[in-house]
Amino acid sequence: MGLIGLAVAKALASSAVFLFVTVLMMASAKRISTCIVLFGLQSAVMAAQIVALAYAGKLLEAYAIAALVVVVKIVAIPYALFRIVRDLKAPHDTASSTTVAQSVFIMAGLILLSFFAVAPYAKTLRIDENMLASAVALVLSGAFLMVSRKKALMQVIGLLVLENGIFLAALTTTFGMPLVIEIGISFDLLMGVFLMGLFVFRIRDTFEHLDVSKLRRLRG
Amino acid sequence: MKFAVNVIEALLIVAIAPLVRGVIARVKARIQNRRGASVLRPYADLLKLFRKEDLVPDTASALFRFAPVVLFAVTVTAAAFVPVLHPSALLGVSGDFIVLVYLLAAGRFFLMLGAMDGGSSFGGMGASREALVSTLAEAPLFLGLTSVAILAHTVRLSGIVEFSVRQNPFQLSAVHVLAFGALALVAIAETGRIPVDNPTTHLELTMIHEAMVLEYSGPSLALIEWASAVKLTLIMALLVGVFVPWGMATSNSLLGLAFALLAFLFKFAVLAIVIAMIESSLAKLRMYLVPDFLGVASALAILAVVFTALMR
Repeated sequence: MGLIGLAVAKALASSAVFLFVTVLMMASAKRISTCIVLFGLQSAVMAAQIVALAYAGKLLEAYAIAALVVVVKIVAIPYALFRIVRDLKAPHDTASSTTVAQSVFIMAGLILLSFFAVAPYAKTLRIDENMLASAVALVLSGAFLMVSRKKALMQVIGLLVLENGIFLAALTTTFGMPLVIEIGISFDLLMGVFLMGLFVFRIRDTFEHLDVSKLRRLRG
Repeated sequence: MKFAVNVIEALLIVAIAPLVRGVIARVKARIQNRRGASVLRPYADLLKLFRKEDLVPDTASALFRFAPVVLFAVTVTAAAFVPVLHPSALLGVSGDFIVLVYLLAAGRFFLMLGAMDGGSSFGGMGASREALVSTLAEAPLFLGLTSVAILAHTVRLSGIVEFSVRQNPFQLSAVHVLAFGALALVAIAETGRIPVDNPTTHLELTMIHEAMVLEYSGPSLALIEWASAVKLTLIMALLVGVFVPWGMATSNSLLGLAFALLAFLFKFAVLAIVIAMIESSLAKLRMYLVPDFLGVASALAILAVVFTALMR
């Protein structure tokens, strides 16, 4: 019993580190499939965080939310993305407009920025600074992935990372939203991924590539 | 007693260095579905080279013979700074991690001089590539070690290791994770392992270390090869000591030291297998991508240093 409590506390204390590691690795990843795996890992860290919070706060509802995260974000969305990558038969690189080193430097800067951004609020709200900072860092890095990667699929992954950040922010500030809303958001996200997958196929069929930086004129 | 342990530690690194190479080569061979040579083969190689004649090119000066000796001496001295079985080392002064970094740099400097003195164009080419890699690797190596030094509130390597030993293994600190990432990347570049340099190639377009030692033969080559094996082992020991030192003896009892030796050999075996797996699954980077690779290490190291201030 005491051992589980200790493990929970440690998991919460070091989960922010794992989130930073996934984000930094995403910045250095060169293939879309690596990014999908990293997104799954990131969601797994978040699921562990939710379970730890549920255990610490004795919230039964949170276990259901954790199960939802496992089903939707670790299984369904990565599976759907892998299917899209396989069926697209397009080159698998992320087509980054920054070099790997630049991406990692920028990502590191965003992580620091988020620490400075949340410092005043974390003190007044009396919540864990590391967790709130990692939530903001996820939002920022998701946005960064969306603007710096040229492949249409990477925009989807950036959005998913961004959503993970918002989810984590809600989790740390309010101990999670009501279950009904969480279910709504999750299925919204799932549908979003499917719709964006369709879009990606349409982009490829119409323009014969996935480079969003070249989408400059209309085509019938 | 403590002095004896420290002498044994330093000798251990120097003595098992060829074995570490042999184990990595053997595991690699197994992964590639070959039988591979005996793990003791590097010792036989060294013995053979020591018995052979030392050929010196006509164009070379006295520096050519002198450089491998300096390289070996400097590397062995550096090995004496690394704690292995016990959080203390034979040589240890305040700020010794700085000395360690620059001892390795001095060895590399002399190897580069010797390579250029040999007079072949490959030597100069290898030396210029080595200069590029080592310039870029120095900053992250230094910053990574600095960040753990700040965390441990000490500038002695033995103090840093002692801090890590006393730390709770489950309490993962962001600084340690980031510094480990940075130093692992640097270790690959420093020791010339696969994504940066291929230790088994003689292809002129890609080789770095091999290009530098092309003109060397006999005992000089043996010294260089042994020194580079010692360097690989000491950097592995440094990573193990700073980041996963659990199992190290905290007292001077014989039982504790025996356990520490077993733990050390186990960790080295695991690390050797990991290196062999990395080397078998990755392709060598293009030379122009090496700065990018080390740029990632620099970013991680800088982040680690900044995090020492953020995550108290």
